[in-house]
Amino acid sequence: MQTLIALVDCNNFYVSCERVFRPDLIGKPVAVLSNNDGCVVSRSKEVKDLGIKMGVPVFQIQQLINQHQITLFSSNYTLYADMSSRVMSTLEAFAPSMEVYSIDEAFLDLTGVCHQDSIAYGDLIRKTVVRATGIPVCVGMGPTKTLAKLANFAAKKWCKTGGVLDLSDLVRREKLMRIVPVSEVWGIGSRTTLKLKQLGIHSVWDLATQSSQRIQKQFNIVVAKTVLELNGISCFQLEEISANKQQIVCSRSFGRRLTGYKDLFEAVAEFCSRAAEKLRKQHSVTGCMSIFIRTSPFNSQEPQYQRSATIKLNTATQDTRTLITAANRLLKEIFRAGYSYQKCGVQLSQIHSESIPSQFDLFDFADNDLPTENRPLMATVDQINRRFPKAISIAATGFEQSWQPKSERISPRYTTDWQDLVCVK
Amino acid sequence: MTLTAFTLLLPTPHPCVLAIPLFSGKVAAGFPSPADDYVEKTLDLNELLVQKPAATFFVRAQGESMLGVGIHPNDILVVDRSIEAVPGKIVICALNGELTVKRLTRDNEQWQLKAENPNYPDIVIHEELDMVIWGVVTNVIHAL
Repeated sequence: MQTLIALVDCNNFYVSCERVFRPDLIGKPVAVLSNNDGCVVSRSKEVKDLGIKMGVPVFQIQQLINQHQITLFSSNYTLYADMSSRVMSTLEAFAPSMEVYSIDEAFLDLTGVCHQDSIAYGDLIRKTVVRATGIPVCVGMGPTKTLAKLANFAAKKWCKTGGVLDLSDLVRREKLMRIVPVSEVWGIGSRTTLKLKQLGIHSVWDLATQSSQRIQKQFNIVVAKTVLELNGISCFQLEEISANKQQIVCSRSFGRRLTGYKDLFEAVAEFCSRAAEKLRKQHSVTGCMSIFIRTSPFNSQEPQYQRSATIKLNTATQDTRTLITAANRLLKEIFRAGYSYQKCGVQLSQIHSESIPSQFDLFDFADNDLPTENRPLMATVDQINRRFPKAISIAATGFEQSWQPKSERISPRYTTDWQDLVCVK
Repeated sequence: MTLTAFTLLLPTPHPCVLAIPLFSGKVAAGFPSPADDYVEKTLDLNELLVQKPAATFFVRAQGESMLGVGIHPNDILVVDRSIEAVPGKIVICALNGELTVKRLTRDNEQWQLKAENPNYPDIVIHEELDMVIWGVVTNVIHAL
């Protein structure tokens, strides 16, 4: 039986979420901004048509914003996460197995589900999702994940597809591959694109017709697999269970520039708490922590400073207090007075399951005498915070948190807070 | 099995602490309750009000246009977006970009949005009207 994989991808997801509760904004230019209201991270079609690129800082497009009365929103992740889970659970009904690939896309295994008329099935998926959730999606299909992704790209780009495209057909596949640049292929980054161009490989078709052995020699196994996938030979399987994260990063830009050690440490401590929470949620411990601090790269007038520091923990831990104590030590090493800090972050690595007993290193009588971990205490803190969000925190994270990022244009939490329900007349 | 593995037993570095809830119920000193075998799950309002969680949204009513069907200002409406909006249903629709709740009707091929209050005019749906169905109201939650 011919394998059929579909990639369902939400159109301009964050903007679409906002529009569900603001139907007055349908057909008008809308953009959603990143943390701290810095850059554009989601654009309506109207905004794309104005030539505004993804990731552009707001201050660079202020004139266009005023001229075209673009409605801006701060990121409302609470809303987007809720809408995402609605889309995903609606999709679940359409396939025996599914991989949630990101907040706004999922792979569905449709093998044997719709061998008769895949386009009609894709259309049913689109109509069902938009009706149930209000979120418009496009459906790309093909015998491999890479082809499904390519089909989705084409379904989004050419509206005459009606938002659904199946690349199982060889003639149609070749026709499309000849006109799509190789940079649009899933997993082909800008550096690989550059190298491919030097070899005269410009279109997807150019890549698909290469020998995978040759590509593996010149590039790597992933690019070689991509060549096979473009030819309908499946190399990337559906990953139904999300693997535990091997790295946890918590970082944020500040709402205002921070200059004092105390403020900066509060922010670092808060990120340690968030990261430790994530760690415990996936039942893991970490053996290594890094922190970084930096000034704003956009402000070239100010003196620039950027440092990071890493500590290897003698005993893997998931205790917030251990991480905060270690972070304090790291921050003392890299903090320099006299700079206006704009961002900091915490990164945990060497993550493994909490059920694996801790490795005590006999020969490592290191200097890091950190507080011993207390798992029951942390479990209790998590339990309380789940019921009463932010009820308990380590005092080091501060009480005012004046460094919290700006989100001046955030929309109400329409679906997760009784006080924020949308009103109807 | 020809090889028996040795298992080296070591004390755990983190002795397990058994958490006992403070109020775990009455101590059963006498006979077990005769009702124990009949314990079933408790009633959950979600089960009654929400058929399709992914498609169900709560919205808050404003104004008095739907008093006739018992929708009062500040009531919470349970809206299922997956239900088809057929004539007779109470619907939420975006009317010229504004969300409104009305009864959808059709008389002699004429679609209308009707208020359930004589003080409010009916709205005739015509081509120039920007009207999109948002969902179908299934329940009203009214605090007394």
